[in-house]
Amino acid sequence: MNFKKLSVLAIVVLLVGAFVVGCGGGNDEPADQGADSGEKQVTIRFAHWRGEDKEAFEKVIAKFNEEYPNIKVQQDISGSEQYRAKIQAELQSDAGPDVFTTFPGAHFATLQEAGVYADLSGAEFLDRFSPHLLLAGQADGKQYAVPYQLVFNIPVYNKGLFEKAGVEPADSWEGFLEMCQTLKDNGITPIIFDSEIGPGQFMNPMLMNNMPTDDALTRVEKGELKLTDDWFVKTLAQFKELKDKGFMQDDVLGTRKAGAAALFAQEQGAMLAQGSYMMASNKQQNPDIKQGLLAPITVPADQAKYEGIHTSTFMIGINAKSEKQEAAKKFMEFLFRPEISAMYANVTGQMLTVNGVEYESPELNEQAKWLEKKTLFQPRYTLTVQEVEDAIVNSIKDVLGGMSPEEAAAKAQEEVERSIK
Amino acid sequence: MSNSKLDLQKADKKPKENITKVDIWRQFPLLIYAIIIITPLSLVFFATFKNLKQLYSDPLGVPESWSLANYKALFANENMLIYFKNSVIVTCISVFSILLLASMIAYAIVRLPKWIGNIVFGFVVVGMMVPTQVNMIPQYLLLDRLNLLDKHLGLICVTVATFLPIAVFILTGFMKTLPKGLIEAASIDGASHWQIYSRVMLPLSGPSLATTAIFCFVIVWNDLLYPLLFIKSDSLKTMPLALLEFQGQYLTNYPMIFSGVVVASIPMIIIYVFLQRYFIAGMTAGSMKG
Amino acid sequence: MKKYWGLLPFIIPGVILYTIFFAIPLVSSLALSFTDWNGISPDYNFVGLSNYVEMITDDPIFHQTFGNNLKYMFFVVIFQTLFALIFAMFLAKNSKLNVFYRALFFFPTVIASVSVAFIWIFVYDPSIGSLNTILKLFGLDFLKQSWLGDKNIAIYSLAITQVWMHTGQVMIIFIAGLQSIPKSLYEVARIEGASRWQTFRNVTWPLLAPAATIVVAYTTLQSFKAFDLILAMTDGGPSYATEILSLFIYHEAFRNFKFGYAAASAVIFLIIVSLITIIQFRILNANKVTYN
Repeated sequence: MNFKKLSVLAIVVLLVGAFVVGCGGGNDEPADQGADSGEKQVTIRFAHWRGEDKEAFEKVIAKFNEEYPNIKVQQDISGSEQYRAKIQAELQSDAGPDVFTTFPGAHFATLQEAGVYADLSGAEFLDRFSPHLLLAGQADGKQYAVPYQLVFNIPVYNKGLFEKAGVEPADSWEGFLEMCQTLKDNGITPIIFDSEIGPGQFMNPMLMNNMPTDDALTRVEKGELKLTDDWFVKTLAQFKELKDKGFMQDDVLGTRKAGAAALFAQEQGAMLAQGSYMMASNKQQNPDIKQGLLAPITVPADQAKYEGIHTSTFMIGINAKSEKQEAAKKFMEFLFRPEISAMYANVTGQMLTVNGVEYESPELNEQAKWLEKKTLFQPRYTLTVQEVEDAIVNSIKDVLGGMSPEEAAAKAQEEVERSIK
Repeated sequence: MSNSKLDLQKADKKPKENITKVDIWRQFPLLIYAIIIITPLSLVFFATFKNLKQLYSDPLGVPESWSLANYKALFANENMLIYFKNSVIVTCISVFSILLLASMIAYAIVRLPKWIGNIVFGFVVVGMMVPTQVNMIPQYLLLDRLNLLDKHLGLICVTVATFLPIAVFILTGFMKTLPKGLIEAASIDGASHWQIYSRVMLPLSGPSLATTAIFCFVIVWNDLLYPLLFIKSDSLKTMPLALLEFQGQYLTNYPMIFSGVVVASIPMIIIYVFLQRYFIAGMTAGSMKG
Repeated sequence: MKKYWGLLPFIIPGVILYTIFFAIPLVSSLALSFTDWNGISPDYNFVGLSNYVEMITDDPIFHQTFGNNLKYMFFVVIFQTLFALIFAMFLAKNSKLNVFYRALFFFPTVIASVSVAFIWIFVYDPSIGSLNTILKLFGLDFLKQSWLGDKNIAIYSLAITQVWMHTGQVMIIFIAGLQSIPKSLYEVARIEGASRWQTFRNVTWPLLAPAATIVVAYTTLQSFKAFDLILAMTDGGPSYATEILSLFIYHEAFRNFKFGYAAASAVIFLIIVSLITIIQFRILNANKVTYN
């Protein structure tokens, strides 16, 4: 009796469940078609990892629908960690997103080789970008993805604290050390460094003038150069110097990115060794803060080739398996219009690769200055093998943890050789 | 220790000071642990009354004002109720199915000859030891082929299949300890397997079913991975999946996530407290054995 | 033999569902451990056992990961089981206060792991973290640590968080176990004048063995599968000091694009966890007493 009741209940529950599920699934489509007068309605799915941009994209999509009422755009947002796994599974099925984003470097390279991108070469909207900023999304001479955001991967500094200590951004290694010393003498922690993204970010300006050639890291990956070479060991030694002289806060390795950002926003340190993308959120945490960008120059002033680092990232592409590629292209074209981009940039506080965008906030104007300067594309993202990147980043952490530069470099080189053999 | 508690219950005549002594001895560690639990939890709770700026400038402090702005903002999104409903549907159907199927399997394992039982047990329980990460892509492609992607049914099927092993493992462990005498007596009386299962096994398994139910509720309710992979339509999303939208690359809206987490934890705590009554049922069942 | 056929309908529905939605995908992914598939490309090569050979003979990170996982497991299993047992004995009786305590201890389990990670990052933060501040407040400066930054400590810091999160959860299993012990046995022990320790040793513990087996096995499993928490708190760092197997598999599959290799490590994972579980069963069941 009891069991009979139980099984009847089970069947009822399952049926009700199936019914609800069925309804849920069926609900969408009639609504879609009925919405507009006869014209075919399509919904494209746009997968990305920037939760902080949700509202900005909602605004863009609302505008987009004024012009294209028949194309619905659904954002599909997941955190950047979950995103990688999700997109990898989805792109193999026919149910993948129509428009999706990738990180430059190893992530893009692998996906591109698997043939998941529709070719965008020849699309008119590509003319709206500076050609060198499009490079990150190219392979075999074709444009597969369009990097939309422009990031400067150099430390953000607190102008107020610099003024208080009476220092200016330096243009040589000597000058940089002196600057840090003065800050320290004034009771200000010069550099706030976190172990989560700090090493991967700060390594770029540290390397830009030390590398023998701009493609040095690519050559490491090919086995032509070694991390035990002078230029890399010297870079690690300079990291060690900054740490040993007390220019970073205590316990760098135990500090996570959120903690570091909070310290900087509370004006407990002069530089935040992350990147320009933090300026908007720092401002949100502390509206009074005045911020600028600067890069450590690791050589004498006359030998400096580069003033900073840039990355074109948040690369938007179209799924080759999508049946709605035309609609997806229309959305991209719309998004890349200067006035629409300006809207997006000013809401999110992110700099964009599109030309002719008018920026409003002081932070964005501060970043815009760097468009004129000599910057190198982020060396870390020229790597296509993730393990090589990990080895390099870890060697920096090892040095910050007390290992000697030579030892850390040797260990990293071993890992590199293991992963490229 | 349990013994001394029983003593205390029954022998009222014991001197009072003795009771206090035992009580302090017991209450002290409980209190310390309660503080260890509450302190970090209160940070989450406090955070729901702060905005991002306040959270970062004073992550550990008591909020300046008890503003409900985050909760209001959370439910200003009318879809939040739909996400909540979806979570309830998926969790309830999954947990119910897991309990039903697992208790049946556990019963069979206990009644089968030892070696066959062990084979069935091993086959199912090995599933517990598989790292989920490696199974994701094939499961995704399977659902794609079966046309079950972006449907609650697909999500539920995979969820039940994935968490069935844990339930079988716990339930079998407990059912093995039930007194064989009762089952054999029922068997001799000519009761069928269905009758023994539903009239003897299930009622005797109150505490273990409740335990398993609690485990499954929590796991399924908070599960992010499978909804993340299998659900695409906004109208079908579950709570944890919806909260993911507040997670950014560089700036995560923790106050909003926490508000969502606090809201989402309430039904679990209610279920937990509710299921406690089955522990009492278990106690009476236990006394039957004596 | 015939009476056992009646049990078939009990097994079939669950096993079929499990086979289709879990076992078959599993077999297909484990088969990939013999290939060099990158997790996305349409084609791949059969490479025989070379993934396994490389992992066992020539992957220092995998070896370190395995060691980390053992440390993590021992810490979590010992403390989580011990705390859960002690608190279960305190709280076994159904009184209002006890139900409150149980719910409170259970609460961290209910909270999604992103939130738990977020809180504990701030607890451990060296500059603004509460733990070092509290230690300072009590004059215990010498105990201040780089909780997540020190290679030798980080894994235990994470283990503490794990124990904090799940003790209240496995405690329920002990409570369920305690409540199924017949009261009459305690009655007998009391009449025979057994001391509190003797009662525990001779009545409670042997009868709790099944519950203890479940708790230990479940906790072991959790300590191998702990993933969200570590991913969010340290992502395996510093220098792989907190990389455990599940994280390693994830990193190989989705960051390094070596799905075949990840599948091979999953097979090794499966074998290790199964072996440990079987050993635990043997040890704990030696204690077991059944009563009829």
